[in-house]
Amino acid sequence: MGEAIVITSGKGGVGKTTTSANLGTALALQGKKVCLIDTDIGLRNLDVILGLENRIIYDLVDVVEGRCKIHQALVKDKRFDDRLFLLPAAQTTDKSAVSPEQMKKLITELKMDYDYILIDCPAGIEQGYKNAIAGADRAIVVTTPEISAVRDADRIIGLLESEKDIEPPKLIINRIKGRLMESGDALDVNEITTHLSIDLLGIVLDDENVISSSNKGEPVVMDPSNPAAVGYRNIARRILGESVPLMSMDTGKTGFFGKLKSLFSK
Amino acid sequence: MTKSQMVTIKGTKDGLVLRLDDHCSFSELLEELEEKVQGTGLEGVAEVQLHTGHRYCDEQDMKSILSVIHHSPHLRVSKVQSDVISLEECQQKLIEKQSETYIGIVRSGQIVKAAGDLVIIGDVNPNAQVIAGGSIYILGRLKGIAHAGAKGNLEAVIAASWLEATHLKIADKMETMTDELTILSEHPEMECAYIHDNGQIAIDRLQELRHLRPGLATFKGGI
Repeated sequence: MGEAIVITSGKGGVGKTTTSANLGTALALQGKKVCLIDTDIGLRNLDVILGLENRIIYDLVDVVEGRCKIHQALVKDKRFDDRLFLLPAAQTTDKSAVSPEQMKKLITELKMDYDYILIDCPAGIEQGYKNAIAGADRAIVVTTPEISAVRDADRIIGLLESEKDIEPPKLIINRIKGRLMESGDALDVNEITTHLSIDLLGIVLDDENVISSSNKGEPVVMDPSNPAAVGYRNIARRILGESVPLMSMDTGKTGFFGKLKSLFSK
Repeated sequence: MTKSQMVTIKGTKDGLVLRLDDHCSFSELLEELEEKVQGTGLEGVAEVQLHTGHRYCDEQDMKSILSVIHHSPHLRVSKVQSDVISLEECQQKLIEKQSETYIGIVRSGQIVKAAGDLVIIGDVNPNAQVIAGGSIYILGRLKGIAHAGAKGNLEAVIAASWLEATHLKIADKMETMTDELTILSEHPEMECAYIHDNGQIAIDRLQELRHLRPGLATFKGGI
């Protein structure tokens, strides 16, 4: 019996889809069987980032409406022999095409066959969000070191905490820009975690390669030397319950500044 | 039967007191009241205090009593005093006297309400609201919106370990934390907001609270 994890943020553009793609890939690299679900019906992206866009035949709406079997709609990522699958969102309809009950049923079914089901949540707190969290056991909130993103994360955390079936959410701080944080122009990791006061699952550095590799359809996490990839890999190991010491704020900072220095000294 | 016992008018040092008997029937009382009121040899307009004793008068009863009294051009009721209240009113009063405690973080978009005082143990994040009929005490950071004395209590205060609210409201006064106020609370630690004599919301050190609002203390023990 697998576990369903929803990846959400409230605000758009903080990297939910990128995080979903990279964590899914990282978990598959660790030998787990992973199914990614894109619930952003009408604005699907996860397929593009994974480079699976042109292999979609059926989608989420086809499955819940019974036009096909689940396994027909799942797109296999051939790079990870039978370990990474994507259930793409429909592009031609909108969020109301699916109900939370249907999502719950679908995810319960998928949990039989997969170790991890990662649900990529759309931005906002409306229907799409309600669908995405319906079947989840755990939640990951993604934010960036911007006040607007942290505000929205706070709202989402409040909503998630009131859901009885979901464990207390964990936090990923994405797109950390070293120089801005050092100069105090951006919120630092410590400030964000004390403000939101939930467990920090990990931090991911801002890196140009995240964008270029997404455009190529190869999640950045496949490149083990990339600093952002290290962040994603650490998070994946923590999801697996491995005892990678949860990057405390200090080690997080020094580790990351150290890395930064070594990058410059290269 | 000696009449004129059900309604008595007395002069006290606080003014005229109209005392209504609480044992007779209500209709009898009204009848006699009417007589008494018309028969007063008063001139001009006198203010009276109405004492209803142990008779419970609901809104309707009170209306009929007042209308009878106001039939006379010479009497105006300044105050109504009763020795009884309904269980419901009593419970409402008790609730308003009580302080409620909320433990946890009040997050963006969430609202925590209390009829009486409200104690929050945790932070109040931006865009979160805490509303109380009485005062609000926060063991944590107030970074959102706080409304004390929501039913019009001007004596209510907002105290926080860290007072950094975006909006402060006390009774019907509202204050956004503009530059001046932010400067006033440059050290937002251990502060309280209250309505100043000038009618505006002011911020002062928590230590000043015992001088500003001595009435808030309910401590009865000896020292």
